Amino acid sequence: MRCGPLCRFLWLWPYLSYVEAVPIRKVQDDTKTLIKTIVTRISDISHTQAVSSKQRVAGLDFIPGLHPVLSLSRMDQTLAIYQQILTSLHSRNVIQISNDLENLRDLLRLLASSKSCPLPRARGLESFESLGGVLEASLYSTEVVALSRLQTALQDMLGRLDLSPGC
Amino acid sequence: MTCQKFCVALLHWEFIYLTTALNLAYPITPWRFKLSCMPPNTTYDFLLPTGISKNTSNLNEHYEAVVKAKLNLSTTYFSNLSSKTTFYCCFWSKEDKNCSVHADNIDGKDFVSTVNSLVFQQIGANWNIQCWMKEDLKLFICYMESLFKNPFKTYDLKVHLLYVLPEVLEESPPVPQKSSFQIVQCNCSVHDSCECHVPVPTAKLNHTLLLYLKIKSGGINFQSPLMSVQPINVVKPDPPLDLHMEITDAGHLRISWSSPTLVPFQLQYQVKYSENSSINMRKADEIVSTTSLLIDSVLPGSSYEVQVRGKRLDGPGIWGDWSTPLIFTTQDVVYFPPKILTSVGSNVSFHCIYKSENKIVSSKKIVWWLNLAEKIPPRQYAVVGDRVSKVTFPHLNATKPRGKFTYDAVYCCNQQECHHRYAELYVIDVNINISCETDGYLTKMTCRWSANAIQSLMGSTLQLRYHRSSLYCSDVPSIHPMSEPKDCHLQRDGFYECIFQPIFLLSGYTMWIKINHSLGSLDSPPTCVVPDSVVKPLPPSSVKAEITVEIGLLKISWEKPVFPENNLKFQIRYGLNGKEVQWKMYEVYEAKSKSASVLVPDLCAVYAVQVRCRRLDGLGYWSNWSSPAYTVVMDIKVPTRGPEFWRIINEDTTKKERNVTLLWKPLMKNDSLCSVRKYVVKHHTSRNGTWSEDVGNHTKSTFLWTEQAHSVTVLAVNSIGASFVNFNLTLSWLMSKVNSVQSLSAYPLNSSCVLLSWTLLPSDYSLMYFVTEWKILNEDSEVKWLRIPPSVKKYYIHDHFIPIEKYQFSLYPVFMEGVGKPKIINSFPQDDIEKHQHDAGLYVIVPIIISSSILLLGTLLISHQRMKKLFWEDVPNPKNCSWAQGLNFQKPETFEHLFIKHTESVIFGPLLLEPETISEDISVDTSWKNKDEMVPATMVSVLLTTPDLEKGSVCTHDQHSSANFSELESTVIAREDENRRQPSVRYATLLGSSKSSEIDDEQGLINSSVSKCFSSKDSQPKGSFSNSSWEIETQAFFILSDQHPNIISPHLPFSEGLDELLKLEGNFPEENNGERSVYYLGVTAIKKRETGVFLTDQSQVLCPFPAHCLFTDIRILQDSCSHLVENNFNLETSGQKTFVSYMPQFQICSTQTQKIMENKMCDLTV
Repeated sequence: MRCGPLCRFLWLWPYLSYVEAVPIRKVQDDTKTLIKTIVTRISDISHTQAVSSKQRVAGLDFIPGLHPVLSLSRMDQTLAIYQQILTSLHSRNVIQISNDLENLRDLLRLLASSKSCPLPRARGLESFESLGGVLEASLYSTEVVALSRLQTALQDMLGRLDLSPGC
Repeated sequence: MTCQKFCVALLHWEFIYLTTALNLAYPITPWRFKLSCMPPNTTYDFLLPTGISKNTSNLNEHYEAVVKAKLNLSTTYFSNLSSKTTFYCCFWSKEDKNCSVHADNIDGKDFVSTVNSLVFQQIGANWNIQCWMKEDLKLFICYMESLFKNPFKTYDLKVHLLYVLPEVLEESPPVPQKSSFQIVQCNCSVHDSCECHVPVPTAKLNHTLLLYLKIKSGGINFQSPLMSVQPINVVKPDPPLDLHMEITDAGHLRISWSSPTLVPFQLQYQVKYSENSSINMRKADEIVSTTSLLIDSVLPGSSYEVQVRGKRLDGPGIWGDWSTPLIFTTQDVVYFPPKILTSVGSNVSFHCIYKSENKIVSSKKIVWWLNLAEKIPPRQYAVVGDRVSKVTFPHLNATKPRGKFTYDAVYCCNQQECHHRYAELYVIDVNINISCETDGYLTKMTCRWSANAIQSLMGSTLQLRYHRSSLYCSDVPSIHPMSEPKDCHLQRDGFYECIFQPIFLLSGYTMWIKINHSLGSLDSPPTCVVPDSVVKPLPPSSVKAEITVEIGLLKISWEKPVFPENNLKFQIRYGLNGKEVQWKMYEVYEAKSKSASVLVPDLCAVYAVQVRCRRLDGLGYWSNWSSPAYTVVMDIKVPTRGPEFWRIINEDTTKKERNVTLLWKPLMKNDSLCSVRKYVVKHHTSRNGTWSEDVGNHTKSTFLWTEQAHSVTVLAVNSIGASFVNFNLTLSWLMSKVNSVQSLSAYPLNSSCVLLSWTLLPSDYSLMYFVTEWKILNEDSEVKWLRIPPSVKKYYIHDHFIPIEKYQFSLYPVFMEGVGKPKIINSFPQDDIEKHQHDAGLYVIVPIIISSSILLLGTLLISHQRMKKLFWEDVPNPKNCSWAQGLNFQKPETFEHLFIKHTESVIFGPLLLEPETISEDISVDTSWKNKDEMVPATMVSVLLTTPDLEKGSVCTHDQHSSANFSELESTVIAREDENRRQPSVRYATLLGSSKSSEIDDEQGLINSSVSKCFSSKDSQPKGSFSNSSWEIETQAFFILSDQHPNIISPHLPFSEGLDELLKLEGNFPEENNGERSVYYLGVTAIKKRETGVFLTDQSQVLCPFPAHCLFTDIRILQDSCSHLVENNFNLETSGQKTFVSYMPQFQICSTQTQKIMENKMCDLTV
């Protein structure tokens, strides 16, 4: 317990150094811009637009739902899962989005560090490896649903960033 | 007791036997050992070393000795011997020369005895054996070679190795059955050496390998004792690799190598080197555990030879083979390092040891030069010990290639002497600029860089390496140890292009170029790029352009590109559409705006518009221009004004009506904005009120003007409406008589411009403007008109005027009340045009005229000479010419008759050829000088007559027929009395000759005649010829007085000379009117030629005469021509006048004489 504050400081140090170098305002702007960019990217993928939002797809419960993400850590956790899913899809359409999610998570950590929030790097789904069979059998469904839900989640995050989310 | 002892001994023996049978395999040593075999029946007791008992009672001790010495022994039998001959073989080595021998007793039991190896060396067969494990740990090798000179035949040598590798991991495993041994045949060479290979599994490296050899040589079989070894303990490394030597900065020799890669354990190395120099020779052998060895004090001009081998550092092992010897030779001057590759701005140092004449130069005496051209300042030197000098180059600049040399040569010199060897310094500018650009879809970043800066470094390879940070770039980018290479492709433009796709938009890509070269590697300064900050967006889409109706602005609209999501600014460029559009720029900084309007001067033109965008914060690049959009010409507003119009009135005087035709010019786009659908003429009269007439697109309209005043207005109508601002014209009978223009002038400036100028009379009417009309006069050409503002007084009319045509210009003052009376002029001055044209042509025509005149004059002169020769050269003396006798040459008709007669006498032949004989007598030489000019003689033909030949005469009062003078003379006469001017014959004087007896009389006659013609003060011609001039056969001379008495004209034909004379007469100064300058001289014998003077007729003044010219010649002529009579010269001249001789040639001379005469006369001009 004694080394708790020190370890916390050491953990935050790389991000704090970033915060010093980059104005937090720029980080916030870049975060919002990047979210918009990802949303637009998803919109530009033609086959995602044709999917009906009213139709529910069963069997893809591992994809984060439409529950609101209220905190930065929850955002990071959600994005980590999406990144994990998209990376596993090995689709040309989503590789760039996966990279963008990587940047977005870094930005969120930077924002969290600016608020002195300890934001350990989220690991994604631990049981993801067991879902290999599901992914192989439903690549299209997974991609469409994942991108659709991601788009919604990002738009939700965009709105919450203006409200200064908590840790 | 004895039995008891025997039993004890027996037990011991059995124990020994079992021991030797179970575990007496010879342990293979890391070094070489020997196998020696000896035939049976060999007495070796005496050979046993002293102190070793042959009694079996000593077996126990001997066994222990054998175990201790790790010697083993067995029996070997010669199989080819019928008898069971036993060969005793044993192993021994340098460390232990005792060899234990097993011998069979009768019972077939072995017993052990210890024998000195020397016994075997002398009488047995001996082999050297060495066994080891290869470095790859897969192959066990035993090598054997024959030792000494074997007493047995060694042909047909066959060796087999039998081995067994027990599964049990024990140091001393039990000896397995013979059947379990595997056999391999060894490869033997002709040199009695064999090599046996035993594969060993990696897993059994630590197991004990049991083996023995079977040797068959010369029909005899040998079998070695059993050997045992753990392969891992006899590993023999390969020789070290990459052995090389270099001189360190401190002047030491560093020997370095790399260890064999397959060895699983650490090695120790043995380095064997020798130094050979003129100063020192040394050898050394050192064992080190590292892969380098430092030898201090390297010497210039030395040779170093080095070999290295390796061995397992910890535990047993076998020394590997020596590496190939490496020889390193140092020169008399040693640079270390000999070559340096570095980058611009860095600091490097060279060291040097200099040996001169077998002596090391003191480092304090060493100086450094660069490229043998520049001495390096001593402040850059440093002394490192007594022998080593050091030079440092700070802040290096890039090496400039000199021809094929791409390095700087650094010389270490002993004072003034530099060794020819040098160090090489390569300084490369590695400031390679890497520029990146992210595409408009934010998925790809393309980086470009040029390698031009390092092309001079041959043999180098370039590689872009990068490191990606998670977010953004650090303030000072640095080369990260963890970097990745990126493939780049050379483009046609010389740039390398590397593509990152996909990208991390907000990550920092720190990139640099790594330059690899044999001399080392260099890194360019790193550059960090965030892809998001180098975006080149896609150009805006859906660009449209239009001119807004009613507003009249150029409106441009567009759609922003999808990416980036950042705020954008836009740049618009627009211009009139054409081949080369002159663009104008307009910027829009409102990120959300999608349109902009700009003011353009021409609303009725087609504009081309393009838009591009860029991030509002300035990051990234401008996008490409969008595809151009074009405006469409359409009506924007009502026409700005109605057309200018004028009227043409066709008056019918009988009906008192006038047909008025209105003319107007069609509106241009700028005024019609942008088209005219129709024109409407509005009329207004006091009686009929106002009405309109639609004339469509026509540009004229005719109506009948019947009332006193008739006002008309022409409106232009387009799709928007009718023009608001229009011109009015009132036609008024009363106003048409109002004269307002006082004068009007037209000045043509050139064929395309006429200046119209006018003056006005004071008027009470308000002048609106003028209208000027012009047309070609006397032609039914189109009347052109122009509206002129009322304030100007002159106006330039630009039109295509024809200079040769006359124009009519009219100027109408137009008042509010109506059109006033015009001022009309019919033409602009035609002469002026011609004058201007002549002026222009003057520069061309005058030179032509002058050239033609010169050519004509030359032609005349040539013709004159020709004519002179034809006519006058050999004029015969009439006296001697039968056809001339009886002719009176004083009368003009005589001349005419002369030629007529002559012509008649010659019935054939051209006319011009015949007068030659005639002309001899009527040629007169004359000469004069008019002031400073020498006027050449000219000829006046006697044939030049006029109808008034008899009437006209120079001496009009004289009854004698005499020749009329030239025009000049006529002019002179005309000045005095016009009635006297009767020019007919252009010459007047002939000097005749008379008989010698009548000389005096005739002289007086001549004088009288001359006096009559020239001495008169009223400027009348004073001289004329007497009728008897030919009869007296006397040469007569005209001597013309001149202001230069010493110059006398050359030979002058008579008639023309007279003409010229008369011309001169007319030009003589007036003040000497009383003393004419032309005189006729009678030629008599020159009695006073000795005096050299002449007495003039009136002044009685003796004037000097150029006797050396004239009289001498005359005398010569006299001598040569018997007819030439000397005459006294009566000179009639004034005191101021000088003489001009006028010499006739009417003499009978031969052609030769005549020529002499001419030549001499020419001298008169001198």
